Amino acid sequence: MVDHLLWLIAQIQGAIFEAAVQPVLYQLGIMDWSEDVFDGLEFALYGAIAVALAFILFRPLELWRPVERWGERRAVRTDVVYTLVHRLGIVPAIIFLLLTPIGATIDSYLRFKGYIPPRVEQLIPGLTGWPFITFLVYIVLIDLGEYWRHRLQHRLSWWWALHSLHHDQRQMTLWTDDRNHILDDILASVWGGTIALAIGVTPAEFPLVMIAFRLVESLSHTNVRVGFGRFGSVLLVGPQYHRVHHAIDHARPPFARTMGCNFAVILPIWDVIFGTWRRDAAFPRTGVAMLAGPEVRCGYLRHQLEGFRRLGAALAHLADRRRPGFIAAFSRPQPRPQQIRSTVAG
Amino acid sequence: MHLPFSYGPIRPIQAASPWRRLFVVAALLAGLASAPALGKTAVVLNSDDDSLSVIDTETYKETARTHIGRQPHHLIMSPDGQNLIIAMAEGNELVFIDRPTGEIKQHVEASDPYQVGFSPDAKWFVTTSLRLDRIDIYNAADYQVVFRLAAPKMPSHIGFSPDSGTVYVTLQGSDRLTAVDLATGKPKWTVPVGPQPAGVFVRPSGTILVGVMGADYVAEVDPKDGSVIGRIHTDRGAHNFLLSPDGKTLYVSNRVAGTISVLDAETLAVNKTLPAPGGPDDMALSPNGDELWATGRWRASVDVIELASGNLKTKVPVGRSPHGIFVY
Repeated sequence: MVDHLLWLIAQIQGAIFEAAVQPVLYQLGIMDWSEDVFDGLEFALYGAIAVALAFILFRPLELWRPVERWGERRAVRTDVVYTLVHRLGIVPAIIFLLLTPIGATIDSYLRFKGYIPPRVEQLIPGLTGWPFITFLVYIVLIDLGEYWRHRLQHRLSWWWALHSLHHDQRQMTLWTDDRNHILDDILASVWGGTIALAIGVTPAEFPLVMIAFRLVESLSHTNVRVGFGRFGSVLLVGPQYHRVHHAIDHARPPFARTMGCNFAVILPIWDVIFGTWRRDAAFPRTGVAMLAGPEVRCGYLRHQLEGFRRLGAALAHLADRRRPGFIAAFSRPQPRPQQIRSTVAG
Repeated sequence: MHLPFSYGPIRPIQAASPWRRLFVVAALLAGLASAPALGKTAVVLNSDDDSLSVIDTETYKETARTHIGRQPHHLIMSPDGQNLIIAMAEGNELVFIDRPTGEIKQHVEASDPYQVGFSPDAKWFVTTSLRLDRIDIYNAADYQVVFRLAAPKMPSHIGFSPDSGTVYVTLQGSDRLTAVDLATGKPKWTVPVGPQPAGVFVRPSGTILVGVMGADYVAEVDPKDGSVIGRIHTDRGAHNFLLSPDGKTLYVSNRVAGTISVLDAETLAVNKTLPAPGGPDDMALSPNGDELWATGRWRASVDVIELASGNLKTKVPVGRSPHGIFVY
């Protein structure tokens, strides 16, 4: 049945490619891109399926038992744009065009030096011949890498300047997962590419399982009063678990962003192992307390520009540490943080 | 640019480890060796699925699909006919399968092998790395790298001069064909031959045919200097070649048009155009020569074309992005 489903999706992909994409590539004289574009179309198709499934499965949950109700959902619409430009492949295509030549150059140089990226099957004896288990090992290792990337996103002030765009959403929903600055996405790709040089790339033969993991990431941002319980919340990141990570009070003492908690993306075990697990049954409000200005409720492009502004400010502060007075000429009065209730009445 | 083979931990052929024998071989045997009979079997590489499909060529059914390695694109029979060598681009390895039994015999580390080819004298084994702009030239006796050349951009298909002195490689991303001297590992010439060149076929006379994927023709190239001396119009997206065993017929897959042109190998006249929907790529003939099999990259299928009638007999569903094919 799985094979039939995959074949059906491949037929849709092929039909779109042959009818609408390949003729354009041919006319433009860029048929050497055909295989990359074909793979990109597959990415977009599976992304669309993941988005549709997330909406069908999780939107009813948000209507059924929402943590928060908002009269005005403009900020959510911005996240819908984020989701579509990411999962339908627009932002990934830009990053692919930017980074692929650099990655290939580095990889090619390493080959000249005799280094060929190993595969997990080579590093862990006994995995050969067990493709699905190999695939799961890759997921675990990449999730470990994502945990530490996430830690650094909160730890380094300049990276937090970018990542704070993800956190400044006060209306966190199933659409919020892809709410990231494009520079943050580029850094994520560089991070992933570096890991790939160390352990090889993830096997490609389980696209439906990849969709399942994307659904976990969407579910973890869903505005629903659901937790996975005492044991479940150690096995898989869920809405309540991740909401605690997004809690607005984490942006101020005693839960300053550098302390933070519940950083895991898929597997909470990393938080347990590295001491960042916070067992908390509350459903807090989300957002960043220090960022109470109206700019956090703007559209996609303004939000991206806001990310550049925050990055500039963070870099200026770093420069100011080395040369005191550096930012004096550029600073402007900061709005006073608003007093915000940090939890939602149950 | 090339380096002598004194660099890097390129591993020689290694016998399969006990683990591999226990698990991988079992998985492959489930496909190949338990097929009705190898004489009635076709093998297809599903490059986006990391898998190998086994097809019963009498029932036109996929009888097994098994994991084979990361991104398998092409396969080739070893010169002695004993092995099928499958190139795993992302897996960075060559997998040697015992052709008579279907058993995996060996894994050889290789850098991003995309296309593969043996020189006619079986002295050289050449792989191209489409992604990393590299051509690797191996000693075919022990699969040790002798030369690794930078070859921008997107080196793709491979052909050899009849005297085995030169390898010709299309550079898909720079619209060129390059000729590399196998003894020295140095390029002899690199010249434009048409937009996005793909397949290479060297005629007995020595002239080189190149499938010009960004156009609708095959370019005939002079091996002396690479100059284009003729164009044979086939169909949009001319891609790859297959010569019939008797040497009289040359098949050209046209990826954009979804057709296969049938050429007289001697005169290069196009005698017929066959339907092959779904982005036809690599081709193979059935043992009795009645059918032409072509992988349909865009439709996860293999086209089976009846040559006598010129009709598409059936499409065999396989894994995603089928590329290399071998019919026993």
